[in-house]
Amino acid sequence: MVIATPEIMETRRAAPASASPPSAGKDTIVDIDHVDFFYGATQALNDITLAIEAKKVTAFIGPSGCGKSTLLRCLNRMNDLIEGTRVARGTIKIHGVDIYEPDVDVIELRKRVGMVFQKSNPFPKSIYENITYGLRLQGRSDKAKLDEVVEKSLRGAALWDEVKDRLHASGLGLSGGQQQRLCIARAIAVEPQIILMDEPCSALDPVATAKVEELIQELRSRFTIIIVTHNMQQAARCSDRTAFFYLGRLIEYADTRNIFTNPANPQTEAYVSGRFG
Amino acid sequence: MIETSSPPVAPVFAVKKRRLRFLGLTVDDTIRAFFGGNALVAVIVLALITVFLFREGFGFFAQNRTNLEVYRRAGLEYVDFIRRQTDDHTALTRYLSDVRLRQLKLLTEQEKKSLDEANAALAPFDAFAEQFSATVDPLRALMAELTEQATALKTKFAVTEDRKVERHQLLAEGKTAEATAVKIDAVDFATELLPLRAALPAYKETSREFSRKLVTLLDATPVLPAAELLPRMERLKQLTRDYLAGFPAIEQAMEAWDYKEPVPAWQTFTSFLFGRQWLTASFWQDWYGILPLLIGSLLVSLVALAFAVPLGVGAAIYVNQIASVREQKLIKPCIEFISAFPSVVLGFFGIAVLGQALRAASQISWLSWVPGFPYSERLNILTAGCLLAVIAVPTIFTLAEDALNNVPRAFKEASYALGASRLQTILRIIVPASLSGIISAVLLGLGRVVGETMVVLLCAGNRIAIPDFTQGLSVVTEPVHTMTGIIAQEMGEVVRGSIHYRALFVVGLVLFVLSLLINFLAQKIVRRYRISIG
Repeated sequence: MVIATPEIMETRRAAPASASPPSAGKDTIVDIDHVDFFYGATQALNDITLAIEAKKVTAFIGPSGCGKSTLLRCLNRMNDLIEGTRVARGTIKIHGVDIYEPDVDVIELRKRVGMVFQKSNPFPKSIYENITYGLRLQGRSDKAKLDEVVEKSLRGAALWDEVKDRLHASGLGLSGGQQQRLCIARAIAVEPQIILMDEPCSALDPVATAKVEELIQELRSRFTIIIVTHNMQQAARCSDRTAFFYLGRLIEYADTRNIFTNPANPQTEAYVSGRFG
Repeated sequence: MIETSSPPVAPVFAVKKRRLRFLGLTVDDTIRAFFGGNALVAVIVLALITVFLFREGFGFFAQNRTNLEVYRRAGLEYVDFIRRQTDDHTALTRYLSDVRLRQLKLLTEQEKKSLDEANAALAPFDAFAEQFSATVDPLRALMAELTEQATALKTKFAVTEDRKVERHQLLAEGKTAEATAVKIDAVDFATELLPLRAALPAYKETSREFSRKLVTLLDATPVLPAAELLPRMERLKQLTRDYLAGFPAIEQAMEAWDYKEPVPAWQTFTSFLFGRQWLTASFWQDWYGILPLLIGSLLVSLVALAFAVPLGVGAAIYVNQIASVREQKLIKPCIEFISAFPSVVLGFFGIAVLGQALRAASQISWLSWVPGFPYSERLNILTAGCLLAVIAVPTIFTLAEDALNNVPRAFKEASYALGASRLQTILRIIVPASLSGIISAVLLGLGRVVGETMVVLLCAGNRIAIPDFTQGLSVVTEPVHTMTGIIAQEMGEVVRGSIHYRALFVVGLVLFVLSLLINFLAQKIVRRYRISIG
């Protein structure tokens, strides 16, 4: 169990009392407010309050089962696909809109909040069709426009030079790292505002990981990126802000440098220094 | 194996063990032998069945060749030239009576005449029709006479053959005296056929007279009371003219006909594979042509698939992609339960309920746009096809559901994450990714229905004829017979070793090859197009 320090308990108690959540700053794009989340009868998230800034890279870290992926999948409502899940309390607002309101169109939401998965999952189609899939869903079929998007997205994902001669070959023929960058290209092709990355490098070798991290650095100027990772060096290397979760609770959320050099919470300190987790 | 002599001191690393042996076999060997034996039995049984099928079947082709030879030697082929001529005339007469029926309908329904009035109006037409049908009578009389002669000759030959067999058997048993007592009159076809050939001038005369009468009749066609049917009458005239134009060719063929001409070996195969008639135990000539049965089987199966594919695949998509867990738990066992019905029960249901209901539905006026509706045959391709669909649905459903299940979850999630709706995800990602599995599910469903016997035997109508394709889709309302049905129906009655018996085996062989082909294709497709993941 979590042995919450008095400071943290205090903050949490104090939070609902304040008129505007302390996290809701000027550049806030995602505002998570006192969220409880359940898988059936099991509570996976407990009173999470967190504000994510626009055009920054935010990392979610924590040991397995701490709820970081669950929280990520709440942001584009991917959890809707799993039966029996529900947000029991609290709100998640993106640009001030509560995305769990009944009149929210999940499809529109997902167009604006893209996602890259842990295991690269290109469709069993050509590279070109993989990239244009999202646009075709929206009914776009203008060849010139699609060609342009394919090139732009692949360049954006630093994959263009490697695949430009075989755009019509199967996406499954690429290497693991290339497949993951293809998935990133596919996600940015629909021009989302936020990209969620769920352990995007966990199945990649160090070289491919380095390429994806480099890519994240390039993408931060255009997108808000939220990345879940098990790899603390990765969080330290490529994120601006880091949130540490443990057993469904948010333990600490601060600038990455602070988290890794001067954590406020002893548990965070224990985790980032590798003493547990 | 290593025999360990028990050492006085227990070794530190005691991994050696004395093995229990029975008849020199260890337990492992026995287990191995047991399971290996089971597998071997399966292989041997399969091989035996195949060998038996081929052995019994292949004798057919030699017998069929003799059958065809006798057909020629005994002059049956010769008489059939005339028979075809009269049969074609019968078809024309039938056309004529169809025209009368339509006229009567027009007169009574549109012009509101009473039946007597209508019949009176049709009197000139009836007189014409009667004359038309009577023209063939002399020819038919001649044919009857020749038929008798040819049949007598054929019987004589058959008796001789039987005697030969009898003598052969007696000789084999060592009864030489009895064997020589069996009298065998050699049949001299050349002399026996003389009267038949001598009838040629008589035929020519009759045929020409027949032709003259028809020509005169054509010039004196009656005025139709219903003008709408004029095109049909013109069509009849054209058909008759074409018919008459064929007469010289018949004469030539009869003149050129030679009973000695050998029957080539390939003909026994082609007459089976492409034969349009399956006619057995006939007084005249037996024909073993698989075409009507093959077409019947295929049509019934295709109709079944037309219903079963949307149902099975649709249900699989629903259960796999859309249904909640509760619905899944309800639907899956229900569909799988269908296969628990014995097919004879389904066939019974088809006769008692479905056939009746479908025919009643076909008579409903606002359904008359459906091709083939209304129809009168209760048991037909449609009835059997519907029931076979019921049989195919569980197979297609289960296998298609498996295929859909094998599509990685990641594809689905990726699609949703890009803003796809459920329908878009299903149609653009899930179904294409599992298409090979779905196709092979459909093929295996086809294999299941092609081999199904009881339902088609009870519900397909069992008319051995190639259905009429000229009416387009309404062909499905015709009765047919099938390969499985004919075997089940006739195998019990045939004499073992007879040509009919062997013909049924060859039908079984064709069925076997067809099923094999379908299964092979299904496996091939699954292997070739299986998606490689990751």
